[in-house]
Amino acid sequence: MAQMQNAQSVALQLEKVRDKLPLLYERDDILLTMIQQRGDVERVSSRNMRLPLQIRPGGKAGLANMDGGDLGRGSGTVYDVAQVSPIFFRHAVEITKLVEYASNAPEKAVENAAKREVKNAMAQFRSFLDKVIQTNGNGVLGTISSIASNTFTMAKPPGSMLVYYNQTIQVYDPTLTTNRGSCNVTAVDPFGSTITVDSVPAGTSANDVIVHDGLTGAQPVSLFGILYHQSNATTGTWLNLNRATYPVELATPRVNGNNSALTPGSVRLAINKVRKALGSNQVNKLIAYTSLEQEHQWEQLGVTISQIIKEGAGGRASDLDLLFTGEKSMAGVPIKSSINANQSRVDFLDLSHWGRAVMQDIDFYDVGGQTVFPIYGASGGLASAYIFYFVTGFQVWNEVPRSGAYIDNLAIPSGY
Amino acid sequence: MIRVTREIHEAPTAVRERIARVGGLNRFGEPNFRVAWGGSRLGWIGGRWTDRDANGNTIRESVELRYVPKYLPLDRWHIERWTPPEKYGAPENWYAQTVETEDGIRVPALGPYPSRGEYEHCFTLEDADGEFIPLTPAACDWIVRAIEWSRRQPPAASRAAIDARESRREREWDRAADDIMDDASSAPITT
Repeated sequence: MAQMQNAQSVALQLEKVRDKLPLLYERDDILLTMIQQRGDVERVSSRNMRLPLQIRPGGKAGLANMDGGDLGRGSGTVYDVAQVSPIFFRHAVEITKLVEYASNAPEKAVENAAKREVKNAMAQFRSFLDKVIQTNGNGVLGTISSIASNTFTMAKPPGSMLVYYNQTIQVYDPTLTTNRGSCNVTAVDPFGSTITVDSVPAGTSANDVIVHDGLTGAQPVSLFGILYHQSNATTGTWLNLNRATYPVELATPRVNGNNSALTPGSVRLAINKVRKALGSNQVNKLIAYTSLEQEHQWEQLGVTISQIIKEGAGGRASDLDLLFTGEKSMAGVPIKSSINANQSRVDFLDLSHWGRAVMQDIDFYDVGGQTVFPIYGASGGLASAYIFYFVTGFQVWNEVPRSGAYIDNLAIPSGY
Repeated sequence: MIRVTREIHEAPTAVRERIARVGGLNRFGEPNFRVAWGGSRLGWIGGRWTDRDANGNTIRESVELRYVPKYLPLDRWHIERWTPPEKYGAPENWYAQTVETEDGIRVPALGPYPSRGEYEHCFTLEDADGEFIPLTPAACDWIVRAIEWSRRQPPAASRAAIDARESRREREWDRAADDIMDDASSAPITT
């Protein structure tokens, strides 16, 4: 090759950040990272990963008459196998050469645009995956409650919290059978729970659902999120097992919030359900995963130290931090809140039972060592831009659905 | 053989009196705040219990009301605050929400209605690594005053503080990401 081309040199230089991607990917306050840090990671191939489960106890115990009495028959433990297979996600980033030329030296710009784009793209990709992991395993990011021109008002929860600006989304009918088409998000209002799109797919109507890009066909499968694993449903499937076969064993204990505000009683009910199922001392690893809204509601009950002290007290909390974890808790269970969490739920999770089946860790998409690819113009020649991708392939599992509990249908505090 | 099943303690009188003085008294003349040892503080839990052996295998199931430690860990001091009965709703609502039916037996999952209110968990005395720290009056004072102060703050301030924390987290990640990127390449990524 006589001449070194831009794409080649960019590929070489992007390699320098390659091993830093996992560091960029991690953030301890998002669910995905919490699962990554506290749960198992299993390396898998494209075949299903099998999770053997000891579902029901065996043996028959009882009083015995040793004076010639009938000792009765026995039984054995019931095992079954849950299965997961990874799915792939990608995040594509395009940059024009002009952007690069205009910012590739300190005298031209305060920050290198290409470098910044890697960082921003990683933040956005991680945020996208964290949003998907809040869902029910079908990629549904929200439900349309009404339509006005190109603006959808989304039912709350989750409202429009799981959608971001410029995202490509698809509209499905409420039964997830008919894909009405895709569109791009041109505005998101999380407070008004609305999203605006560039063009409404034909046939879109109220109660339709929106899913993320890339899903196809009826009943699409995406990441198995909180709503998938933390469910007391007795129909449908869970990791390839029929919920109806094990209606008790696969059901996560639930407390119905009845559209009322969060109370200490409902929190204790939920935690106690775990204690009753797993043993009274088996809740040490629980976390209370919830939204900022419910965290705020819990503060209003006046049984915890307010975030105000930690945020705005000019270091007054520092002596506390030195002595204590400083974590807020719900009835002794540490609170982990997330902007992406369902606004009407509190999920009590034992993440030591959660894990990820990983086929591909997050990385640049790589073809023969090349990670940056040219864009072609209409003439067939090179366009003055390039593209790179982040990819990852994994799925999330939970080996003991009864290790957690949840409160749902909670009232969302006013002002949110 | 004598087997110790649960270690129990009571907070020293001096600590109890100090916390009562700092936190004040409720309508029944009882302290708003108190300190309880995890193994000593019991509460009612009703429903279907599954008892397991050390390996997690089920050894029995029973439907009953048990009086068991309310908070975990058992071997820590916990600070509690009194919550008035009206916070638990009307008695009929309490039973409607908490009664569980198992094998045809109705059991109040949280025991009887707390007609005199109930003490609820505020804080576990642990160090930054989650290890035991002894009961110190100064620490208790700090926590009681902090919670009382928190209760007087308007909801908007609490919400703003939570929003500020989220913004701070974003900035911290952004800064860390910049460091990582700078470390990855001293020269511009593209030239």
